[in-house]
Amino acid sequence: MALVSRTNPLPQTALIRKATDRGGYLVFRAVTILLIVLPGILAVSLLIRARPILAKVPILDLLTSSNWHPARGEFGFFAFILGSAWVTILAMVIAVPLCLLTAIYVSEYASPAFAAVFKPVVDVLAGIPSIVYGLWGVLAIVPLVAGVAPAVGRYLGFVPGLSTEGFLTGDCVLSGALVLAVMVAPVIIAVSVEVLNSVPLELREAALSVGATKWQTVKHVVVRKSLAGLVAAIGLGFARALGETMAVLMVVGNVVNAPHSIFEPAYPLPALIANNYGEMMSVPLYDSALLLAALWLMLIVILFNLGARIGLRLVTARFWR
Amino acid sequence: MSVRPPYFDSAVERENGSRRVLECSAPGGTAQGASGVTNGLPERRNKVRRSICLAGLVLSLLLGLVVLLLSAGQAAAQERREQGTIRLSGAWALYPMAVKWAAVYEKDHPGVKVEVSAGGAGKGAADALSGLVDVGMVSRDIQPAEMDRGGLGIPVVKDAVVAVVNEANPVLRELLAKGMKRDAFVRLWMKGDLKKWGEASGTAVAEPIHVFTRSDSCGAAETWAQYLGGKQEDLKGVGIYGDPGIAEKVAGDKLGIGYNNLNFAYDPKTRKPIAGLVVVPIDVSDNGRIDGGERFYDTKDELLRAIADGRYPSPPARDLNFLTKGKPTGLVRDFVAWVLTEGQKYADEVGYVPLAEAHRREALKKLE
Repeated sequence: MALVSRTNPLPQTALIRKATDRGGYLVFRAVTILLIVLPGILAVSLLIRARPILAKVPILDLLTSSNWHPARGEFGFFAFILGSAWVTILAMVIAVPLCLLTAIYVSEYASPAFAAVFKPVVDVLAGIPSIVYGLWGVLAIVPLVAGVAPAVGRYLGFVPGLSTEGFLTGDCVLSGALVLAVMVAPVIIAVSVEVLNSVPLELREAALSVGATKWQTVKHVVVRKSLAGLVAAIGLGFARALGETMAVLMVVGNVVNAPHSIFEPAYPLPALIANNYGEMMSVPLYDSALLLAALWLMLIVILFNLGARIGLRLVTARFWR
Repeated sequence: MSVRPPYFDSAVERENGSRRVLECSAPGGTAQGASGVTNGLPERRNKVRRSICLAGLVLSLLLGLVVLLLSAGQAAAQERREQGTIRLSGAWALYPMAVKWAAVYEKDHPGVKVEVSAGGAGKGAADALSGLVDVGMVSRDIQPAEMDRGGLGIPVVKDAVVAVVNEANPVLRELLAKGMKRDAFVRLWMKGDLKKWGEASGTAVAEPIHVFTRSDSCGAAETWAQYLGGKQEDLKGVGIYGDPGIAEKVAGDKLGIGYNNLNFAYDPKTRKPIAGLVVVPIDVSDNGRIDGGERFYDTKDELLRAIADGRYPSPPARDLNFLTKGKPTGLVRDFVAWVLTEGQKYADEVGYVPLAEAHRREALKKLE
């Protein structure tokens, strides 16, 4: 029966209703499938462009060799992978505890007024262009690290990873990690706060009503419940840290060398691509090598995400029903 | 005859779990349906809003289409040579010179547009060889791989890469008196076994040398590496991004040494080295001191003259080249010919060295 009323002179026939309903569903499905397929297309196109070098040099050599001399045909990615790993992992080690604690404070302990002020500040921080962070790093972080490093080396130099043997200027892993930590913090905090806020009030009330203290509630109930979301936030931060190019390459030293300490310069994978894409056409196999580096980056992010999810599954299966 | 559904005359709160839905009456009529639940807003307002949204969406789509078509049309128009656009892209080293040439050429030849963009020598070569631009600006020698792909290099002007240190360097006096030999540079940048300023200057200073190089693949680094007998990837030292980057770094680190394009090492207005930098004299004669004939680093003009008559070694003085895919034709050929004839007289004021006469004629022959 047509739906007609005084204010709706156009009849919505059953046909139109069915059409818009079904049509809407199809459009949403198509868009979603496109989004899911996009990373796949990206990976496949990178793989196709990286085939020449994979065919020429055995993959084990590519992964484990530190010799990087494209003009001589030597493409060893080990130093870059290790450099990326050092900078990213150090950045996450610095950023994650600070961000989680901040998120817990903002969502559990802070007054609503404070949270209302905090959110826009975090959004602004997240939106600052990376080149600005890079310039700030060059002007502030590098001299800071250069000043701190000799003292640390003298008193804590025996700790593996803190020696200042390879130290020259402030352009090192630590500078890169500090800049990265500041860059990923807003992302992690914003997502974590949302996740923590979405835990239903009833759960908190239930915990408090059986006599738990606020901290016990937070630790055993809120964080436990939002673990999946927190891991997702950390995963987002990790992906951003791994892929951040400009800011890092301005402070990290860009020396092809597998770092043994946080005070040594390093050369992360995105910096390799950004520094050298201009020369891609001139040296044979160079473009293939750089696209292979891009493929490594994608694979590392995918593997990390998978690993995080599997780890989460294991953890929650044990503690959670 | 219409059935009038029951109206709610006041707001009704309905609990739905932890969410509350506020509903109010609809004087314009409500949707008749199985549930009899009001949808909350008068249908007329709803319809108006819907049509506004739809109109907005359609308008923005149309706008996007129009913009796309316009830019596509412009690109298509630029393809046709009658419109007269010459596109250059490439090295930062050539950028100031190219901009000057573009300005003068556009004034002398109305109707021709010359667009210059910079992104590095490698990018310029890649763009020229793939047809994205007409001329690539390359601040180093054209490589065999590029020539294999059909590239033709035409030298257009000269400039140089100079070594720079900080003005507060502990052994500055000795460096200025004795200079540094090519061998010292090789030990610093290629072998990495010269570690202290004392060794570099023949004194007892034990401070370490902080060596800087370019992290981005560029003509300056390639030229410096060529002077030292290698390629950019062989250069050791902390990699800094960009020519101004190294200049800033060395100006801020009293133990630093780096290399710069002379246009970045010298202030364009005062024609002297920029604040904080001192250009290291190169001991060409290898006799352990800087004689009168080797002292020309105080002002840019002296250095330019030294490059022109060959007192400054070449490399690290270098030709700056235009790279085209095959022999240039039409507008592009006219432009390059103009650069090699009329354009040469603008080199001095911008801070470059015009080509020597024989060299210039050789370059012109390449156009035929």
